[in-house]
Amino acid sequence: MAYTPQYGPGTSIVAENRRKQMNPSQKLEKVRSVTDEDIVLILGHRAPGSAYPTAHPPLAEQQEPDCPMRKLVKPTEGAKAGDRVRYIQFADSMFNAPSQPYQRTYAEMYRFRGIDPGTLSGRQIVECRERDLEKYSKELLETEMFDPARVGIRGATVHGHSLRLAEDGMMFDMLQRCILDEDGVVKYVKNQIGEPLDRAVAIGKPMDEKWLKAHTTIFHSLVGTPYREDTEYIEYVQRIHSLRTKYGFMPKEE
Amino acid sequence: MTKAELPQVRIVPLRMLKPETTERLLNTLAGIAGIRRMMIHGPGLPATVPYGPARGSPNPHSDRRAIHVGDAEIALAIQAGEVILEVEDSSVIEEIRSHCDDFFTEFPYQLQEGRFMKTAPTLVDYAKFGPDADTTLIGLADPRSGEDPVVIRRGQ
Repeated sequence: MAYTPQYGPGTSIVAENRRKQMNPSQKLEKVRSVTDEDIVLILGHRAPGSAYPTAHPPLAEQQEPDCPMRKLVKPTEGAKAGDRVRYIQFADSMFNAPSQPYQRTYAEMYRFRGIDPGTLSGRQIVECRERDLEKYSKELLETEMFDPARVGIRGATVHGHSLRLAEDGMMFDMLQRCILDEDGVVKYVKNQIGEPLDRAVAIGKPMDEKWLKAHTTIFHSLVGTPYREDTEYIEYVQRIHSLRTKYGFMPKEE
Repeated sequence: MTKAELPQVRIVPLRMLKPETTERLLNTLAGIAGIRRMMIHGPGLPATVPYGPARGSPNPHSDRRAIHVGDAEIALAIQAGEVILEVEDSSVIEEIRSHCDDFFTEFPYQLQEGRFMKTAPTLVDYAKFGPDADTTLIGLADPRSGEDPVVIRRGQ
C-alpha cells in the first residue's frame, strides 16, 4: 500500500494552511511579484547583475570520485556551478503572520532541494547555494508564505516576533529595514543586514486582517484562531507528549 | 527612593506608539495634576547598528527623534510600548483613565495598577551614580545611556 503523507493533524483553518504549505503537490497562491534584481538587493550578498562568486570550480570541470551516491543524487544548479552558500532569514510576527519558523522549515524541506534551514523561536534562516537561494527566495516572497507587514527579511537584529505591532500594523524592526510608504506599499530601504540600499525596493501592500486570519499558520487566542478550539490538534500533541514521556521510562508491553 | 505607599499605574496600548502619538499622549498626561514621576518604556532604537555584519554603521530610523512634552524636549530613543506613572493618590488614576479612554479610540489599551518602578538602587545604579544619588531619580533613566531624566514643569 502506497504511503500518503498527512503532513499534520487538525481541523482548523490554521492546520489546513500548515498542510497546504507543507504539501509540495499543492501550488502556493501567488499574491505579489518581486523582480529578481529586487531580491538580490534585499539579500545583499552580491551586486545585481554581477557574476556569482564561486566556492569551488564547477562540478563538470573537476574530477568527481566514483561514488554511487553522487550518481544517485543530481546536484542543484547552484551546486553544479560551484556557488557560495548564502542565506535568507525571516522573522515572523505572532500576530497572524502567514508562516512561522517551524512551519517554514517543514515547508522548505518538503519543497526545496539542497537547503540547510536553521529554526529558532522567532526567526528562521535557510542556507543554500546562491542561485538556488534566489530562486527559493522568490517563491517564499511572492507566495502566500509572506506578508510585507507581518514578516521581515532580517539577516541580523531580528527582534520583533513576539512584540506588539506598531500603530500602522508593521512588525517592530530596530533597524527599520522596511517602511510603510504613504502610497500604502511596503518598501525596503535597507538590505537584510541593515545596510542602506541605493533605491527603495517595493515589495507590495500589506494584506488585510481578514486575509491574514484566513492564511495564517499561527494559533493566537486573541487575534486569530485559538489553539484550544482545534481539539484534534490538541489530542495529537498530547498523545505525542504522553508517548515520549512514557518512553523515557522504557515501558514494556504486557 | 520613592515612598512605598504612592500608587503606580501602567498604560499599555495594544499597539506600540509612533513618536507623534507618544508626544500627544504625554502632553495629555502632563496636563494632569498629581503625577509625580513618569517613565516611557519600549524596545530601543539605537543610533548605530549594535551587532551583526553591519555593526557600527549608522542606523537611520524615523521613530528616533525629539518630542516636546510641556516645556521640555525629550530625545526619544525607543518605540514607546508603555507608560509607567507614579501618582499622588488614587483619584489621579481615575483622571488618567478618563483621559486615556478619550485618547485611545483606534485601538484598546490597558491601565494596570501595581509596582512598576524600582524600589532600590541596583548595582549598576550604585556604580554610575554613587552612594549619594538622588533616590527619586533612580530608575527613571537607563544608567547605561548616560542621559538624565527630564523635568517637565506644569504650565499653570
